[in-house]
Amino acid sequence: MELRPLNESNTNDKYKTYELFIGPNHPGISGNFSYVLDMEGHKIANVTADPGLLHRGFEKLMERRLWTQNLALIPRICVPEPDVNEVAYCMGVEHLAGIEVPKRAQYIRVIVLEMARIAAYLFSFSGVGGATGLYTAPNWAIGDRDYILDLFEWLTGGRVYHIYQYPGGVKMDIPDGWLDKLSELLDYLESRLPEYDNLIFKNPILQKRTKGVGYLSAEDAIENGITGPNLRASGVKWDIRKAQPYLVYDELDFDIPETGDGDAFSRFVQRRLEMEESIKILRQCIKQIPDGPYREKIPNPFQFRVPAGTYYSKVESSKGEFGYFIVSNGDIKPYRVYVRGPSYSAGLYYALEAMKNMRIEDVPVWIHSMDICPPDFDR
Amino acid sequence: MIFLKLLEGIGVGLLSLTVGLLFMGLARKITARIQRRYGPPVLQNFIDVFKLFSKQSISHGFAFDLGLVAGVSALLAAVVFLPMGQINLFPHNSSLIMIIYLMTMAYLGMAMGVSSSGNPNATIGVARALTMMMGYELPFAAVIFSVYIFAKTGSLTNIVAAQGGGFLNWNMVRLPFGFLAAEIALQGMLGEKPFDMAIAPAEIASGPMVELGGKYLGFGMLQHAVGIYLETGIMVDLFLGGASNIWIFVTKQFELFFIALLINAVLPRFKIEDGVKFMWKVPLLLGVIQALIVVL
Repeated sequence: MELRPLNESNTNDKYKTYELFIGPNHPGISGNFSYVLDMEGHKIANVTADPGLLHRGFEKLMERRLWTQNLALIPRICVPEPDVNEVAYCMGVEHLAGIEVPKRAQYIRVIVLEMARIAAYLFSFSGVGGATGLYTAPNWAIGDRDYILDLFEWLTGGRVYHIYQYPGGVKMDIPDGWLDKLSELLDYLESRLPEYDNLIFKNPILQKRTKGVGYLSAEDAIENGITGPNLRASGVKWDIRKAQPYLVYDELDFDIPETGDGDAFSRFVQRRLEMEESIKILRQCIKQIPDGPYREKIPNPFQFRVPAGTYYSKVESSKGEFGYFIVSNGDIKPYRVYVRGPSYSAGLYYALEAMKNMRIEDVPVWIHSMDICPPDFDR
Repeated sequence: MIFLKLLEGIGVGLLSLTVGLLFMGLARKITARIQRRYGPPVLQNFIDVFKLFSKQSISHGFAFDLGLVAGVSALLAAVVFLPMGQINLFPHNSSLIMIIYLMTMAYLGMAMGVSSSGNPNATIGVARALTMMMGYELPFAAVIFSVYIFAKTGSLTNIVAAQGGGFLNWNMVRLPFGFLAAEIALQGMLGEKPFDMAIAPAEIASGPMVELGGKYLGFGMLQHAVGIYLETGIMVDLFLGGASNIWIFVTKQFELFFIALLINAVLPRFKIEDGVKFMWKVPLLLGVIQALIVVL
């Protein structure tokens, strides 16, 4: 332990400033991560981020596993929405190995991604409620999310981590009757949306709490590498699904909603509006999904060598751009994999700037409006 | 005779604890149903208190112990003076001012206790609780003023007696603005949303409760239980015409508590300054209007 010189501790009046910990064991933070706040009264004078509590060394571990073995590892990087990891990784591997993915598999991937997106948005509804004290919202949202997890369980066998994608397609075909059930679930979720509106988004106290909090201008957002709904809520219409379509998103008809106020409330509303678009996409997928094979055969996984090269594959997740930079040297294992998590720049760097001079009661609202997922930092 | 009164006082204290804990259990169940959950057993809070009092606890010094004990005992002392149906231990001495005074003592005791723990979260929570108290005491004082002028007495027993003879004689009907103001103030007194800034978990990790463990947390729960009983009890005596027996009294209390719970379930919490502003705008205005009506 480092001892502080006496004269220094004299100047630092302990009654003027004090330290407050948001995390790692705090109801206001959404993971194993901590912001250490230097408080002056109820204003934040300085913020320090304290990551590393969940560090498991994913990127290094991947270099020691076979290409297909990594599929069981990477979903753990993002807990609320694990599927983006699998899809981004598989897309990268397929591009390097030159595998053509069947149309049906691409549709199934879109279905899985959009279901995961809705589940993550429901999670963020629960974040709004938890941050402002509206505890009915988390309970309703997590309850509705469970119906999505039920369908995931039927499709993949896993509720949270699915490990369903595979280079060349998906592991299993859609079971009989699953799509009908999905369409029923979409009807149900759509019928719930007005309830959420009345409870959360039209709530005058919630609007008072969140409007004007944590304003993020479009320039600041681009400067700090903030993507996804947070960027779109600041008025920049950028969505990888539209700008650089992957899978079959160019065959689907959907809009990018725009709120554009840049404060916490508009970020919450942005997610709520995008959830409707996801439901629209899923309905189209159910109608348009073709018959055919669900996976392109790849060689024996123990002998599966990906040709040398590099590729950056990216997916639009519920939090922003989720990317995998994959380097292969032609071996049975990756040479290097770098993961770009969307929360990394917002939660670890921009937070230090954004939270200064904020009040303590705005901190959880800011964290949940940016939908920060601390496992992203520690890879 | 004094010994008998003492026994009766202990009985009333136990009654308030039991009813308060039962209300807390029912609150958890009702809130759970609104939130589409099953919820814990109704008697869960009794189980919790028994468990907590059987645990080893960490003290933070003499002020900590004293503050928490003072918190519960001041409220228990206040309950003794509350007329509840046929149970009225001091019919000639049930001054409302004294009850309010004892209630404030309880919160100050709690404040002293938890802020001596040295945790900044607890201190912020206590500061918020006292600020909020400033918010709801003012409209409540305005309401009490109108009730005093209207009933021409300061004794709860006489206020209850003046409301006898049917629903239309209740102060709820006669002083509707005052009742509304007191209802909003009650929401703040109970610490239910949107006025629960003192224990905001996402912001200050449950505030005053953060350093309480074991027996101390048990004391905290008991204080909350007696607080619910006392605050709803005052409202029943002031506005719902008291009661002819204890069962009706508790039922009326529960009705008030139930309304508070429903509001609690669908609102987020205010910021502290917004909460106080709201209290000084809406209920205070209602209280003053009521007082003006009564005086003129």
